[in-house]
Amino acid sequence: MIAIGKKEFIDMFKNIKSIIIIALLLITSYFSAKYSSILGTVISLTEQEMTDAYTVGLVFLLVFFGQLFVTSLSHDTINKESHERTMRFLVTRTSRLQILFGKFSGVWLFWFSCTFISFLLISIYSSQFHLLIFSQAIALLTFQIALTTFLSVTIPKPSITMFLGVLIGLLSPILGFWFVLTNNVWISWLKFASPYYYLTENNYLFLVVFGLAGILLTAASLIFKGREF
Amino acid sequence: MNAIKTNFLTKTYGSTSVVNGISLVVEKGEIFGFLGRNGAGKSTFINMLTGITHPTSGSFSLLGINGPNERIKKHIGVMPDYSTLFNSMSAIKHLKFLSSLSGASVSDTDCEHILKLVGLENSGKKKVSKFSFGMKKKLGIAQAIVHNPSLIFLDEPTSGLDAESVLHIHKLINSLQQQGKTIFMTSHNLNEVEKICTTIAIMKDGNIVKSGTMDELRAFYRSTITIELKHDLIPPSEAQKLDAWLETVGSELQKTSSSTTITVSSEQKIAEIIRAFTHCQVNILRVGVSELSLEEMFLAE
Repeated sequence: MIAIGKKEFIDMFKNIKSIIIIALLLITSYFSAKYSSILGTVISLTEQEMTDAYTVGLVFLLVFFGQLFVTSLSHDTINKESHERTMRFLVTRTSRLQILFGKFSGVWLFWFSCTFISFLLISIYSSQFHLLIFSQAIALLTFQIALTTFLSVTIPKPSITMFLGVLIGLLSPILGFWFVLTNNVWISWLKFASPYYYLTENNYLFLVVFGLAGILLTAASLIFKGREF
Repeated sequence: MNAIKTNFLTKTYGSTSVVNGISLVVEKGEIFGFLGRNGAGKSTFINMLTGITHPTSGSFSLLGINGPNERIKKHIGVMPDYSTLFNSMSAIKHLKFLSSLSGASVSDTDCEHILKLVGLENSGKKKVSKFSFGMKKKLGIAQAIVHNPSLIFLDEPTSGLDAESVLHIHKLINSLQQQGKTIFMTSHNLNEVEKICTTIAIMKDGNIVKSGTMDELRAFYRSTITIELKHDLIPPSEAQKLDAWLETVGSELQKTSSSTTITVSSEQKIAEIIRAFTHCQVNILRVGVSELSLEEMFLAE
């Protein structure tokens, strides 16, 4: 699992798309933190409002474009190996569960590193590390990576997961917030399946999002177990 | 302990049966050749044993461990058919990555040694994307043996290789056998199977129609040995008597004034025929003996 995770993690950095996304995250974090600190000197804000101001740029990116970023980089993490038949080398050497979690952990570590560095950059200006928001961001990314992995296991063709990934990436924040904010009783129950519902409060409810990711990964592993290459 | 034992192993896709209840035993230390036309079910059979596909029914054990079982994987090496390698990796990185998945730790020197064994010396640092088809094939074999497995599955290991490389791989397979390893290989090259395999199975439409050693297979196919004699003219007084006798010891008798071709069922008959010609005071100029080839047996199926 470690070897697969390490390979996946290193491969992520070799992609031009990932370099662009890393740059986008870091630039956004840097400038939003910089201008927030200037804003704090001009108008008086509460401590909570200051924290929100420092992280607003990065959080906006992760909430509205996080799924798009994750799927654009990792939509083919499993099905590309199946499509190119390199998966045969993996399944004859290690368990399918190890392959799946190796892949997932490699992608997760990439996003954890990027997000951690971005929050470190923000902490230079805010003089504190925003642990709760960071944890919420990681919870959301974990869900998004699990969803992407699930898609990559379920759909064998990388071209289809690319298309679906973009579609889901664009629609998921819109639908997610609609489920959370709507008063329509026929739709509002869907908010419990949306990670955004558990991230709207500044408490530990965000831990449920890890549970949602766990459900997706369990489903993915069951499907992957039955796959033939 | 058998290296491979299968019990009514079956694979069906919908209503199509690709492997039809195969029961097979491969002893340790054998080079087992699996023959069959395209679509006979050879690769599907290997894929079930190696975890690439799942059997529909039946059971199997590898090296005494009932499969499918993750514990088996570190003891087997597999070169699957039609597989592409990781193009962005160098040959050495390839070997190190795949061996680490099998729980083995190999150094760069170990990798260089394995690459030399398959005929890829000085290519260790080259990216796989720059490899030719033959080089990729050799790397496929290298990755199957890099972690020192006891049981090696090779699906068409020499197809597409030049004659020199084929000989090189044959020597490697023989040396692996001498180290006590079991090799299970498929091939379309019947001469290759005949030359290096100790036991052979012929598969047709998902069934094994015949299996055994080359000698056993020859015995099954009536062990036909064809003798071609070049000789001086047979004296007319002896010719009729000799022909009548030849008809009793063999079949498919073909004669010219200076040659005789006959098919017999055992090697003892060769000596008898030569003695008969000598008895008739006919000088034998040349004796040619050819046995039934695997190709002929294969075509018979």
